[in-house]
Amino acid sequence: MDGGLTYQRFPKVKIREMRDDVVKFELRETDASVANALRRVMIAEVPTVAIDLVEIEVNSSVLNDEFIAHRLGLIPLTSERAMSMRFSRDCDACDGDGQCEFCSVEFQLRARCHNDQTLDVTSKDLYSSDHTVVPVDFSDPNEPAEQRGIIIVKLRRGQELKLRAIARKGIGKDHAKWSPAATVTFMYEPMIRINEDLMETLSLEQKNTWVESSPTKVFDIDPVTQQVVVVDPEAYTYDDEVIKKAESMGKPGLVEIEAREDSFIFTVESTGAIKASQLVLNAIEILKQKLDAVRLSEDTVEADDQFGELGAHMRGG
Amino acid sequence: MGLKQDSSEEHAKQNQDCFECWFPFYTFDNLSDPMEKWLSFGKQLPYDSGIDKQFLAAPIKSSVDKYQLVPEFLKVRGLVKQHLDSFNYFVNVGIQKIVSANDRIVSSVDPSIYIRFNSVKIGEPSIPRDGVSEKITPQLCRLSDMTVHSRKSYPKIRLEKKNVIIGRMPIMLRSCCCVLYGKDEAQLAELGDVDTGTTKKRIIIDSDKKGNINASVTSSTEERKSKTVILMEKGQMYLHLNQFVNKIPIMIVMKAMGMESDQEVVQMVGRDPRYSDLLLPSIRECAKHGVYTKQQALEHLEAKVKKSTYSGASSEKVFFLFFVRVRRDSFRAKCIYVAVMLRRMIDAYLNKDTMDDKDYVGNKRLELSGQLISLLFEDLFKSMIEEVKKRMDMNMARLSRSSRFDPLQYVHGDSISAGLERTLSTGNFNIKRFRMDRKGMTQVLARLSFIGTLGHMTRISPQFEKSRKVSGPRALQPSQWGMLCPCDTPEGEACGLVKNLALMTHVTTDEEEGPLISLCYCLGVEDLELLSGEELHTPNSFLVIFNGLILGKHQRPQRFATAMRKLRRAGKIGEFVSVFVNEKQGRVYVVPDGSGDKNCSILKTGSINKRCVYIASDGGRVCRPLVIADKGISRIKEHHMKELLDGVRTFDDFLRDGLMEYLDVNEENNALIALYEGKSTPATTHIEIEPFTILGICAGLIPFPHHNQSPRNTYQCAMGKQAMGNIAYNQLFRMDTLLYLLVYPQRPLLTTKTIELVGYDKLGAGQNATVAVMSYSGYDIEDAIVMNKSSLDRGFGRCIVLKRCSAIRQKYENNTEDRIIRPNREGDGAGRMQILDDDGIAAPGEIIRPGDIYINKETPIITRGPTVSPAGLPDRAYRPSIQTFKGPEGESCVVDKVALFNDKNNNLCIKFSIRHTRRPEVGDKFSSRHGQKGVCGTIVQQEDFPFSERGICPDLIMNPHGFPR
Repeated sequence: MDGGLTYQRFPKVKIREMRDDVVKFELRETDASVANALRRVMIAEVPTVAIDLVEIEVNSSVLNDEFIAHRLGLIPLTSERAMSMRFSRDCDACDGDGQCEFCSVEFQLRARCHNDQTLDVTSKDLYSSDHTVVPVDFSDPNEPAEQRGIIIVKLRRGQELKLRAIARKGIGKDHAKWSPAATVTFMYEPMIRINEDLMETLSLEQKNTWVESSPTKVFDIDPVTQQVVVVDPEAYTYDDEVIKKAESMGKPGLVEIEAREDSFIFTVESTGAIKASQLVLNAIEILKQKLDAVRLSEDTVEADDQFGELGAHMRGG
Repeated sequence: MGLKQDSSEEHAKQNQDCFECWFPFYTFDNLSDPMEKWLSFGKQLPYDSGIDKQFLAAPIKSSVDKYQLVPEFLKVRGLVKQHLDSFNYFVNVGIQKIVSANDRIVSSVDPSIYIRFNSVKIGEPSIPRDGVSEKITPQLCRLSDMTVHSRKSYPKIRLEKKNVIIGRMPIMLRSCCCVLYGKDEAQLAELGDVDTGTTKKRIIIDSDKKGNINASVTSSTEERKSKTVILMEKGQMYLHLNQFVNKIPIMIVMKAMGMESDQEVVQMVGRDPRYSDLLLPSIRECAKHGVYTKQQALEHLEAKVKKSTYSGASSEKVFFLFFVRVRRDSFRAKCIYVAVMLRRMIDAYLNKDTMDDKDYVGNKRLELSGQLISLLFEDLFKSMIEEVKKRMDMNMARLSRSSRFDPLQYVHGDSISAGLERTLSTGNFNIKRFRMDRKGMTQVLARLSFIGTLGHMTRISPQFEKSRKVSGPRALQPSQWGMLCPCDTPEGEACGLVKNLALMTHVTTDEEEGPLISLCYCLGVEDLELLSGEELHTPNSFLVIFNGLILGKHQRPQRFATAMRKLRRAGKIGEFVSVFVNEKQGRVYVVPDGSGDKNCSILKTGSINKRCVYIASDGGRVCRPLVIADKGISRIKEHHMKELLDGVRTFDDFLRDGLMEYLDVNEENNALIALYEGKSTPATTHIEIEPFTILGICAGLIPFPHHNQSPRNTYQCAMGKQAMGNIAYNQLFRMDTLLYLLVYPQRPLLTTKTIELVGYDKLGAGQNATVAVMSYSGYDIEDAIVMNKSSLDRGFGRCIVLKRCSAIRQKYENNTEDRIIRPNREGDGAGRMQILDDDGIAAPGEIIRPGDIYINKETPIITRGPTVSPAGLPDRAYRPSIQTFKGPEGESCVVDKVALFNDKNNNLCIKFSIRHTRRPEVGDKFSSRHGQKGVCGTIVQQEDFPFSERGICPDLIMNPHGFPR
């Protein structure tokens, strides 16, 4: 603000792959704190809708009531609406009993096995009161005939399950069932430099054993030139196996591997509750809201002295 | 564990970088062929000479894969067959023997009146209810709280025409009297009983021994039991017997038995001058007492006999060593027996090496439930006979009898039933007749986990008290190889004393002796009666000892033993009869052929014949099956195994065809057993079936136990029994006082062969976890574990606890009864009665909180005095006796199931099973399968957990400092 040294950077994002359930992107020109903040928010703070309350009317299945309730809770529900829904704890339309249309969705399940064949009760048997919040459909679009719901319980002849369930908005921090992320991970981009001169001193057999020493397929030997080449630097898991191998072969410094500390490769997989791309966007949105909360809180200005430049930075300096 | 340890060390080094230290517990990549691992186990064995790396690396294809025999063996035998065998033997043979040995009750007033028991029979398990006897199943008993006690049947005794019930007998589950006997799995499931493994309420095992420090012999028959001890004191030898007031000089005993000549005694013991030197003081002592003739000796003994209350027993009737039969008043056999005892004693005195090893497994006998129950039954049966006899005499002595005399009215089973029930429920065996007073003989079968149950049923506990600070009996005995598990023993005071049977061990039951004895004589055993003392001890002749009884001698022991074994392999004699040729009892240095230039006296020691052939057919010996090899070549060939796989051949066929046999610990000494066929030499006589069978059930669950530090295996054996998971197939129908079940039990990714054999993969306990080995948060010091909250949210380690509450609708003596009434839906107290149905009993599926009433019961105020009609009683004659649920505050449980039934006294009994689902919390204990236990130190959010480049996030973090080095 006052023209001092600024730490502000302008991170760049490059999307490598984008499907409904998986997104892979590169995040560059920022540091680990930002990357990690993004990861943490994706896991724990992006809201979704999940079954939170189950009223069991009839349950003559082999699994007990809590067991079924727990299984129901873990079923991912489509939650595009979750960002605009209210948390039932601060919903003023229903005085906090959490059963109004703004903060909850009702489900019904009725299943009874009438014949000798075992009946699978799946997430497909859950009937939602709101067509935007339904159990995630995992069936293959190419083979629509095949029903692939998530199995809740199996019933034998005469067994019955009847229940009413209420789904509510929540975040992964409270319970893992509200976490929209199946996998969120990032890695530093590895920089692999092979010392070509030293490598040339190895015989082909030695090269082969060295290449084989990596648990993942990072290096390979060019069939034409018989030179060791890096085929997939990102397959490297920072396991140091090749470095140890080089040392044991008496060739320390055969390869240098460094982590680029300002670029990250992100892999985000969603549970299906929201699209993976939406998950990233929601996470950024929530991160912004959190920063706003810090910036707008009353004592931020007072804390200016304390935080100094950092405070200014947070306020957009 | 091996795999984990290896990598943990690596990881420990690079631990600073937390993010890379995750490590999965079980990985598929590390699943190599367990056979290979076992091979390296063979390296530790004594037979192995140089290690041929090429051979070790090569797969063992050459020899026949005998693994299939193990499941086959367990199929025919089950894991705990020894208990059943023992009990079945008692029911089918033992009880009959006891009854026929004491089959007459003769009135002493008029000997022409007597009761004779023709036969005894055990009926079907049933229960008298309203005058009708109803058949019962174990499940019914379990529910009705009657457990063993009601699982009885009627031993029936026939008097001329009548069937008389003499008592009710508790029945072991799955034994031949039990309804489950001979049922296949489907039927078992219907009866609501556990399938894998066998159920039984109580187990009784104990060990017993024969020692020789002061030459003692314990003996028992159907008639009586005794212990004879010959001891040496200040150079003189005495006989100690309970019938005598104090110990008797041995020479007097010999004289009393008709060996008046000292020379004869010395000859009988052995001509070696050192023997006579040691005998001299005893001879002198005898002379000092002025005893020279048989008559004098008998008079001397007469004076020493304890005056019993019954009758003046003459010394002729003093029974010692009474299992040696006295034929035509000839005490010769007894004399020889005493002489042999003396000889062994002197040997032990001269040479400590010949002392019997007390801890040697071959000298021990296991007492199984059948034997113990038969002792108990015998005692009670005899007491009953005495009682009946007394009553009969009393009645007969009366001059005028008003009613017709029926002695049978005195024969009823109350004393037997009550005695059996009392002893089994308290576990105190106090049998005066056999001078037996032992406590804690019965234990309630541990039912908290499947493995715990199985482990409990293979446990062996010692007779003597555990407080002794001796190391001898606690040490691992080489002779327990293959018979008792080397790993499975508790820590602390019972360490090494309480043992467990190995996987393939069988415990024998008694076998008919008569035919075996005559067989021995047929095979060339020279009768003892015909031998002089001198002949007895000629070199190159072997004493033949049958179940501790000297039969005679044999000139060609090996030939004799081979003949016996051939008969056994052909199935002509029992498969568990053991033949053991002891060639070096005493010090056999050189056979005196004159060529030896050793010290003369040693030569003499060597020349002295103390060599014996032992034949054993008694019960309680441990034995195991082995493959027979001829000159190192296994008799089991590829085509045999193929037949087995095709189902044409069973395990019994292998025994019958002489391909395999059972060896007990003693006979193992005559065998050279190769671990693998490939390791056999021409001298090899037997080949192990599978090396892993040296371990017991609990130790068999450990993956790669040979890579573990040895105490870790022991820890794991104790801890495997605590694992939560499944208990039995009927777990959801059981009404145990406490039951722990896992919500999501899993099959281990890495299994062992034992796991498949015992059915742990079907009734498993535990879950597969992804584990990171790293320091994290400081809440993981001292073996603590950091857990991932999201994993717990998703059901990791979630468990169901089932507790039992019960209530009885009691009947009172004045014909009144408790009543269970409809709850009051309004007014005060209605809130606490919410979960009650209209019948006043809590409904299944209701959420129950501490303070809630689960049964709305009322008790009549007046329960004594004159009989009243319960129907006419007004409401005010009752006072409320509601029962409220007590549990930790704030915990909400659910009524899982409610069972109504009639108990022993025909009162209505209501049992409630209360369920609570719990998720792991700080302080809960977790363990790997390698004795690595730890408590949960803290629970951490998933976003704070380490993750890998692939996105794997562990379920829990273990501290690398906690791993054994």
